[in-house]
Amino acid sequence: MTQNKYQKSCFFYLILLPAVLVMLWLTIYPVLNVFTLSFFKYNYLSDEKVFVGLGNYIKLLKENLFMEAFRNTLVFSVLATAGEVILGIALALLFYGHFRGKKSFMIIAIFPMMVSSMVICAVWKTLYHYDIGLINFLLRETGAQPVGWLIDQSKALFSVVIIDVWQWTPFAFIMMQAAMGSIPEEIFEAAQIDGASYMKTVFSITMPILSDQIMLLIMLRTIDTFKLFGKVYALTQGGPGNSTETLSYYIYREGFSYFNLGKASTASIFVLLVVAGISFIYIGKILKKD
Amino acid sequence: MSSITSSKKHPLFWVLLLIITVVTLFPIYWISVTSLKSPVEVISSRPTMLPQAPTLENYVSVVKSGFFRNMFNSLLVAVSATLLSLTLSTLASYALVRHNFPYRGNSLFLVWVLVVKILPPVVLAIPLYSVFIKMGLLNSRLGLIFVYQVYTLPYCIWMIFGFLKALPETFEEAAMIDGAGRFYILTRIVLPLARTGIIATSIFSVIAAWDEFLFALLFIRTPSLQTLPLVIVNYIGEYETLWGELMGIGLLTTLPVLFFSSYVYKYYTQGFSVSLK
Repeated sequence: MTQNKYQKSCFFYLILLPAVLVMLWLTIYPVLNVFTLSFFKYNYLSDEKVFVGLGNYIKLLKENLFMEAFRNTLVFSVLATAGEVILGIALALLFYGHFRGKKSFMIIAIFPMMVSSMVICAVWKTLYHYDIGLINFLLRETGAQPVGWLIDQSKALFSVVIIDVWQWTPFAFIMMQAAMGSIPEEIFEAAQIDGASYMKTVFSITMPILSDQIMLLIMLRTIDTFKLFGKVYALTQGGPGNSTETLSYYIYREGFSYFNLGKASTASIFVLLVVAGISFIYIGKILKKD
Repeated sequence: MSSITSSKKHPLFWVLLLIITVVTLFPIYWISVTSLKSPVEVISSRPTMLPQAPTLENYVSVVKSGFFRNMFNSLLVAVSATLLSLTLSTLASYALVRHNFPYRGNSLFLVWVLVVKILPPVVLAIPLYSVFIKMGLLNSRLGLIFVYQVYTLPYCIWMIFGFLKALPETFEEAAMIDGAGRFYILTRIVLPLARTGIIATSIFSVIAAWDEFLFALLFIRTPSLQTLPLVIVNYIGEYETLWGELMGIGLLTTLPVLFFSSYVYKYYTQGFSVSLK
């Protein structure tokens, strides 16, 4: 029997091993490596590698560009998440219940999240174009001033937010409408019999019941928007000025354009810490659920 | 709006529905019509809602410039990365579901998987770049298949772990009494039972890998090895106004994925799981 038990656990170790090895290779090793590098001044081109202790950390905290990247990432993440979650809930409320053509409408409604991100960047770049873009054309036709969507420092980040909201509101919508579908209709009927107004029903019944799912949705969107890289690379390259510089883009540029591997690693550790902070709640919630 | 549950809708409801449909579909419509316009019409300062002289010339040059080669790269990498992840994650999840590893190994492993899912991938890029150079995996599709495990493996483990956990143990116990081996039980009993979940996981994983941009950008140099997101970005950057061709590539890249829309909708609505991403 002990022999058998030994064999049994041996089997489980054996089948877990490949995944563990891949995770070690692709994630644990890189994180440890980044952590070590963050204490060095290390430029890949000049190949000089000097231990500077916390030097990189202090330098980064004092660096305007890094702080700007941090601020932009936060602004983007908060605005995009808020926009998507609020619109998603509003749409789920609006399209609650049955109506003709609901299924087709829902399938069309999720198209934006199915389209490849780079294709989305491409089409929005044409729509946003200052001289020959459709949006500015319509603005001019109606007598308004054209807007420098991606070339005006004060607007570029918000233009990227709009794209993200267009792309991911469907995700919030479909998640919220699935969650609302699981609430028994009798609850609403009972509230109506008691004479509760629509708004009152929404805020004192629907929202509290959905609070867990709304929290999860906010976490998922915050995590995802915090990674913002591809849209910035394709649309603005961090500009104009540094108005769309994000943390991911900053690390990419320090590491792969300037080859300051030490500094890029330090920035990576910063991001890791911030993300760990954000996701602490998320992980706690998920583990509790299991 | 007086009633939250009634199926009779106010006319305003249908107006809102129309507006939302238009906002949702317009960019996709714009991709389609722009791809059918001539290069001159595309850069006209008065954009036209319909192509005045519809032409397929954009598609011809897109195909001539090797679109299908790049599409093949995308498909090959996305499908292979998903198959690799599925294999690794099914094995690992089964072990995690049916065995208690010492030192709270199960929870530790799952938390690590979640952390990687949450982490911006650029954080891992610098060390992975040097590791992949040393192993000769840079600028190769095989390298891309491996590095995409950073996305697809945590995702697949998390999903498949959930599906396997929901399976009752009774079938496996019965098979064990009949003297079936562990591996037989896994492949012949557990996998068929978890089939729906595995299919769903693979679809979402293929879509994610199909869309990946960062590592493709860092790891692939040769144009003939590029995946579609890279081709699109090059167009955006280098050929500022070749919008017709750009939108042609865009539509061809989008169509295969849109095909899955109704599946994705069904999946979400049936509420298999909410932690999809």
